[in-house]
Amino acid sequence: MSDIVNYHLTVNGMDYPVNAAQGRNLLSVIRAEVGLTGTKEGCDDCECGACMVLLDGQPVNSCSFLAVQAQGRAITTVEGLQQGDEMHPLQRNILEEGGVQCGFCTPGMLLSATALLERNPSPTEEDVRIGLSGNLCRCTGYAKIVAAVQRTAAELHP
Amino acid sequence: MSTTSVPRFVRADGPDKVTGSGRYTADLTLTGTLVAKFKYAEVSHARIARLDVSAARAIPGVFAVLTQDDVPDVRFGPFVQDRTLFARDVVRFEGEIVAAVAAIDVPTAQRALNAIVVEYAPLPVVNDIEAALAADAPLVHEGWSQYGAADVLVRERNDASFASIAKGDVERGMAEADTVVHSRYVADGCHAAPIEPRAVVAQWEGNKVTIWTTTQVPFDARAGVCETLEMPASRVRIIVPHLGGGFGGKCGFHYEAHVAALAKATKRPVRLVFSRREEFIAPDRRREGIVFDFETGVKADGTIVARKVWLAIDNGAYTADAGFFSQLAAMHALGPYQVPNALAEAHLVYTNHQPSGSVRAPTAPQTCWALESHTDEVAKAIGMDPVAFRIKNAVATGKEGPSGQVYDEIGLVDCIEAATARAGYGDDLPDDEAIGVAIGWWPSFSAASGAYVKIDGDGSGQIITGAQECGTGAVMTLRQLVADELGMQPEDFELVYQDTSAAPYDMGATGSQTLFNNGRAAIAAAGQIAEQLKQLAADMLEASPADIVLADGAASVAGTPSRSVPITELAGIAAGGELLIGHGSGVPPAAQEVSGATCIGDVGMTAWVAPQFSCHAVRVKLDRDTGVARVLHVSTAHDSGTIINRIGATGQVEGGVMMGIGQALTEGTRYNDEGQQRNAALLEYKLQTCADAPPIDIHFVEINTPNAGPRGAKGLAEAPNVATAAAIANAIAKIAGTPIRQLPMTAERVWETMNTEGSPA
Ligand code: FES
Ligand code: FES
Repeated sequence: MSDIVNYHLTVNGMDYPVNAAQGRNLLSVIRAEVGLTGTKEGCDDCECGACMVLLDGQPVNSCSFLAVQAQGRAITTVEGLQQGDEMHPLQRNILEEGGVQCGFCTPGMLLSATALLERNPSPTEEDVRIGLSGNLCRCTGYAKIVAAVQRTAAELHP
Repeated sequence: MSTTSVPRFVRADGPDKVTGSGRYTADLTLTGTLVAKFKYAEVSHARIARLDVSAARAIPGVFAVLTQDDVPDVRFGPFVQDRTLFARDVVRFEGEIVAAVAAIDVPTAQRALNAIVVEYAPLPVVNDIEAALAADAPLVHEGWSQYGAADVLVRERNDASFASIAKGDVERGMAEADTVVHSRYVADGCHAAPIEPRAVVAQWEGNKVTIWTTTQVPFDARAGVCETLEMPASRVRIIVPHLGGGFGGKCGFHYEAHVAALAKATKRPVRLVFSRREEFIAPDRRREGIVFDFETGVKADGTIVARKVWLAIDNGAYTADAGFFSQLAAMHALGPYQVPNALAEAHLVYTNHQPSGSVRAPTAPQTCWALESHTDEVAKAIGMDPVAFRIKNAVATGKEGPSGQVYDEIGLVDCIEAATARAGYGDDLPDDEAIGVAIGWWPSFSAASGAYVKIDGDGSGQIITGAQECGTGAVMTLRQLVADELGMQPEDFELVYQDTSAAPYDMGATGSQTLFNNGRAAIAAAGQIAEQLKQLAADMLEASPADIVLADGAASVAGTPSRSVPITELAGIAAGGELLIGHGSGVPPAAQEVSGATCIGDVGMTAWVAPQFSCHAVRVKLDRDTGVARVLHVSTAHDSGTIINRIGATGQVEGGVMMGIGQALTEGTRYNDEGQQRNAALLEYKLQTCADAPPIDIHFVEINTPNAGPRGAKGLAEAPNVATAAAIANAIAKIAGTPIRQLPMTAERVWETMNTEGSPA
């Protein structure tokens, strides 16, 4: 097909050559071409936040972002949160607080929270609630997720 | 915020889920996988005048296009066999599948859909539940009387299941009442809306098929495939990877057979992944709209003497698993009250809407909303405090409920007292705030269930269970039960689950039954291994097996802890002899017989094993100028028996309450005049966000329940969803001065109600 383009994406610090149609969104390229399926698709319409990734540290719904435009930027997915075998404190705390049920919103939630704590290392509960309001969770009622983010903030900035 | 202290319980599937390494169905790719797409009716009711798929089949890259002509001509349905895999002659709702395509990629599949020629001759759209019951209403199923159906169902034209509960003499009761209150309420349908859309992958090897699917009920899905593709169970294997939520929406048998048929026709693996829009319009599982008419007679002292209810449920175009909804709704409409003279009549009505089916506590939240709104009207009419009125009339230990069941030890009154006290009910509030209170109930479902447990030579164990985890943590809790039985740690066990060819039967993540039934099975399986371990230890320690205690990873002689052997050592010995394998099922607890009530269309919903009770007290602030209600605080008290996994249990309450808030205020399906959904997208449908979520106080009334599940547990996943919308309604009604008679109670509806002439503002 004529609209196939070749480019490179940097995902979690790794360089990936990509060979895909120009109009493909970042979500589908990360999942199908880069081969990382931790990033989820809940709506493909910028409504749920399940597909959230970080672009140079900024949260972006990857379903509504053209993959070619992510060239040259640092893309972080849920697979990139862990340092070696060590879970990120957010990952550990969301588990310990019980903020994971089905887990489908979790990757997007974790990236959203990472960006939030980067912007605002000591958020109030209200800040956390507003910061995560682009990520829908149908299972938990959010309380335990908010608790996990607040606990992480307290641990990182006592 | 939860006020209960939570022990740290890290779920076994947690690390997979937080690192992104866990695989969900849509994450799977097999070599040569084709893309599946469905051609939907899009119109709500029409005869298929012409269906021509030849042009679609001719497109390069299209491997198969299937219609009803290409699959066995089987009508299926658990209660009424009213459905075929693909539409045959007539389409009855917009999401009905007319044809399925398997193609090399998404654009090719899309081109094939566009090339399918369908011409329709319109039929009258049945769009209104009550109108559909008229004697001359157009029929949704012309051939309804020829369909196979469960013997107990009472059916007539568009009425797919009529049920009644009658006790005492309702007319005489009404005549004895000092006050009779009459109310009408209408609840819209709504959706389960799990964040993961459905996905199915199927692959054949020889005459056997493996299907990876997002079902909550793997064995039910398997039965559906077997029935519609005419195959024995032994040749169909259903595997569920991690499941991204269900809430009932993924119960039943969905698209597994369609995808399997495509995979067979193409001799390739085939994958179907739903879009969010498909998730809204196509599945035969959405929460049913209901129209209610209540009449309650009370004495001046607040004693209920009679209650009469008529209700009609939107069945949608096909019956799916809704056959028992009429009787279940009738129970919820009479409510957890002592009603000496009762009559409830419930109809399950075909329309040209998306089919209804079990969504988290089917029929309960909307029926509780209507009944509890009505209950506040009754209390107001006699000038009685609504909480005192409930305490006076609620079912209690040793008292008889509306269907004649006399309750064993139950904690409903404790729930009312705890939730209202913890909410500060009765304290002064600003005049735009109020606390509304509602009570609810829900059965525990007793069912057959099985599990195996094995311990390998290195001392590590596996629990191999038919149970399905949909996020609640119920399957995760099995590790705790088994470990306790064997004196080991939960971490010593891995779970092997969600595979119909690996494990014995379980009903699945439905009816809040996993812990109740599979917990019993897992404990029984572990018990067999405990016997084996005790025998091995007894031989080694020269003691009697009856004196061996399993604790802290060792088998010891009771009273002589020095005579002890590690379980890992026993496991090593067993590995060279009789292996450590246990299997369990156990006898499901039976429901009590009821007496004193007569029931037509009896599907066994009038007597409940280990019933669960709840009371929610919700503080709401209402902006009188705009009709916008905001939930400020939710206080909950639940009698769900013993709580085994507290972090999981509080998570169920928080999630259930949030879903209830959505149902109360925003979530409702809107139809156009043609019976098509107008808000089939998340933004228009509007789920609650993190910013909307109020603090939720959680209290469990843990009493000793006879005939409950393992260690006195009842179910829990559905119960917290029952009473929230009702409690919010009663708070809004207090501030608005009048009840809102439609659900969801959107700002527009609240404003309109308050500004309608004759309403006290
Ligand atoms: S999938 Fe991107 S926001 Fe929902
Ligand atoms: S944990 Fe299921 S959607 Fe959030």
